[in-house]
Amino acid sequence: MRSGEDIVLEILGRSFTVKRPALWLAVALFLISLSVIEYRVFRLGYPLFPTSPVKAWGLSMEVFFEPTGKDGKEMEIRAGLPQSRPGEAVIEQGDLSGSLQFNLLAEGLNQIGVWSGDPEEGRVLSYRATVLLNPKRLAKPKPPGAESFPAIIADKSEQILAKRLVERYASLKAPEKLKAIGSASKGIWRNPQPDDNDLKQWSEVQKKHGAEGALEILLRVANFPIRKVQGFILAESVSTQPDRWFAVWTGQRWRPMQIETGDLYPESVRLLPLMIGDTPLVKISGAKLQEVRWTLSKQTLSKWRSHFERIQRSTRFLDQWSLFTLPKEFQDNFHILLLVPIGVLMISVLRNIVGFPTFGIFMPVLMALAFRSTGLAYGLLIFAGVVLIGYLLRRGIDRLRLLLVPRLSFLITFVILAFAVFALIGSKFGMREFMAVGLLPFVILSMTIERFFIVIEESGTLRALQTAAGSAAVAAITYKIIQIDPLQLTFFVYPELLFAIMGFLLLLGNYSGYRLSEILRFKILGEKP
Amino acid sequence: MIVRQFLSLRKAGVLGMNRRNTQYIMRFNRRSGFPLVDDKLTTKHLALKHGIPTPPLYHVISYHGEIAGVEKALGDREEFALKPARGSGGSGIVLITDRREGKFVTQSGKAISREEIRYHISDILSGIYSLEGLEDKAVIEGLIHPDQVFGKVTYEGVPDVRIIVYRGVPAMAMVRLPTRQSDGKANLHRGAVGVGIDIGRGKTLDGVRRSGAIMRHPDTGESLRDIEVPFWERMLLIAAQCTDMTGLGYLGVDLVIDKNDGPLLLEMNARPGLQIQIANRTGLVERLGMIDRAPKEIFLSPEKRVTWAIQTIAEPRS
Repeated sequence: MRSGEDIVLEILGRSFTVKRPALWLAVALFLISLSVIEYRVFRLGYPLFPTSPVKAWGLSMEVFFEPTGKDGKEMEIRAGLPQSRPGEAVIEQGDLSGSLQFNLLAEGLNQIGVWSGDPEEGRVLSYRATVLLNPKRLAKPKPPGAESFPAIIADKSEQILAKRLVERYASLKAPEKLKAIGSASKGIWRNPQPDDNDLKQWSEVQKKHGAEGALEILLRVANFPIRKVQGFILAESVSTQPDRWFAVWTGQRWRPMQIETGDLYPESVRLLPLMIGDTPLVKISGAKLQEVRWTLSKQTLSKWRSHFERIQRSTRFLDQWSLFTLPKEFQDNFHILLLVPIGVLMISVLRNIVGFPTFGIFMPVLMALAFRSTGLAYGLLIFAGVVLIGYLLRRGIDRLRLLLVPRLSFLITFVILAFAVFALIGSKFGMREFMAVGLLPFVILSMTIERFFIVIEESGTLRALQTAAGSAAVAAITYKIIQIDPLQLTFFVYPELLFAIMGFLLLLGNYSGYRLSEILRFKILGEKP
Repeated sequence: MIVRQFLSLRKAGVLGMNRRNTQYIMRFNRRSGFPLVDDKLTTKHLALKHGIPTPPLYHVISYHGEIAGVEKALGDREEFALKPARGSGGSGIVLITDRREGKFVTQSGKAISREEIRYHISDILSGIYSLEGLEDKAVIEGLIHPDQVFGKVTYEGVPDVRIIVYRGVPAMAMVRLPTRQSDGKANLHRGAVGVGIDIGRGKTLDGVRRSGAIMRHPDTGESLRDIEVPFWERMLLIAAQCTDMTGLGYLGVDLVIDKNDGPLLLEMNARPGLQIQIANRTGLVERLGMIDRAPKEIFLSPEKRVTWAIQTIAEPRS
């Protein structure tokens, strides 16, 4: 008596008596696929799970302006824009309005966007950027340069006073010292307290230079390199004014400090600097600035997008031959094209292992692609409607004794007419889906209808309906699978997976075991004692 | 669950579609041989050359322009069969038994007009019944008068005998009996009854309809079992010769028994269905294996192969 396991092994062994060349070819294809992926992941640093989400922020800026009325005068708008730096990466940015000429300039520490052109061309410009926050890549920040040691704005006596006030903190370490000075700007002095006379004089200085100026004086006399920064706190928001803060160098890194209160921003707050220095964030000449609106929104990107920029610049062979390097509009086509092999693999499985009856071999794949533009429910509805119309009409048309091709053409024409009527009804009742009949899905569904009628003629209505149901089911399953975004992305990032699909198809082509449908079909034989 | 089901099919030696395709059709039927069996006209010419009897050919219509001349070509023939040359599964076949007042009477007694016949021929020429939807020819041949051996278990129509021939050796056989549901056609998928035939004795076994077992004909109520098939050895021989004729190693041969002319070759099929296993309550795998293990010398002639099959391939006597 053999154990059940042995029998199963024997079945698999016999069912998969793969011809040797096919087996080797399949193995070779798997190996190619695997090794290219391995190379991409380990050598080129591709994400192993390209679809796991990454946090990013979308910044959009809209500038509204009005021409000054002076004819022929060029206008120019300069605005501080985000730039890649340690901890942040700008993965895409661009001008959306297109009416003005747009250039990017590096100016000192800043990235400046310059728009220039005829102000009459447009009254608004808009800009978008996606900024990726990458906490892992906190490379060493650049130490301060000369620009971070601005001349002290106070006069001699004020400087002496300020020096005396901060001297008491000389023994503190830089970060602590910074905190102490910060709280001093609110009037809270750490022990030992300064004497009343000094405090009185200091409040005069605060009045003269303002809280901001006084804080700057204190920081500068304590020898902290500082930068004045304009930008935004990262939070979902719409603002018309940028946030401002001091970035203070503590010897290791820049700490952001609130100007009004002297408090340090907590570590959990992330800031997006757009402009370092006193230059206004948005400057305009040759036209009148009306309003600037910045919108920040959180975005979830898949990891491969964050690799986009890097891959485009890379000189490595596989990066240069990546599908990412195609122009954007063609990339979209390939997103779909690469799904077709998944679709045909599905069909092969569903037909040869499950045993679905379908119209033609690849018709269900095409139907699944058609569903992409109609949506599943509406696509199935179209399909059912067309089949129904066709069936009812055929009964009547039979008596007219038309030749085959004109007869089918007549039916398809009628079906198109029905769609036009549907679309009109849809527009009357404001139902968009009724109007959304794309050309491609229609052509594909019409071809399916033709097959449907031929099956009716050849094998009867029952068989035709079964096949129609089978096709619809296979198309729906295929559609569901190719709609899985992570799968799409994975194939786009790793097109070498197509080799693996070819390998699977080779193995599947050698499958000589039973189909699931045959369990039912030959049930009577299996039951025999 | 499913594994257990697969196991029981395996144990019964059932040949599945995938295995039939990969291990038998792809291995033993070269593509270039398919046109020989897909087109009834080619088959007929081939059979004629090899001295195998087929129903007499009356007329062939190849172009729409020839449709008008059909009646002239028919002359005063009162009965004939109209078929698409490349039809499959019995579709598009019309059997005419009589002509009255310019109308044609079909086998089921329905009178159809001249226009309807022309319309049907036009459909055939357009390729509506052909295997790949290609343009087709219409064939008019002699009507079969079935031998009355299956008369009691036939509802109208013509019963035919299907023999699976593997490497020239008859492996399994059944007779297909038309029913009311199959509209007088001998096609299992239309609801005809399939009855296995014991290769060794030439006697019928139990029947199957759709996927269920039956003992009696659903319309006549007569027992299907133990009917002795006449000309059995001759039919096996014709089937075996078909392999030499076509070079196809896995073949379904369809024969009819005419009252006057005896067994006639109707058509061949390079992708014969698997339903025959149900009609015989036996899987094909074991039979095909037996033939693979048969002594080499039997493959030398059709006669030897038939003799071997009759002696070796025995039905389970139950």
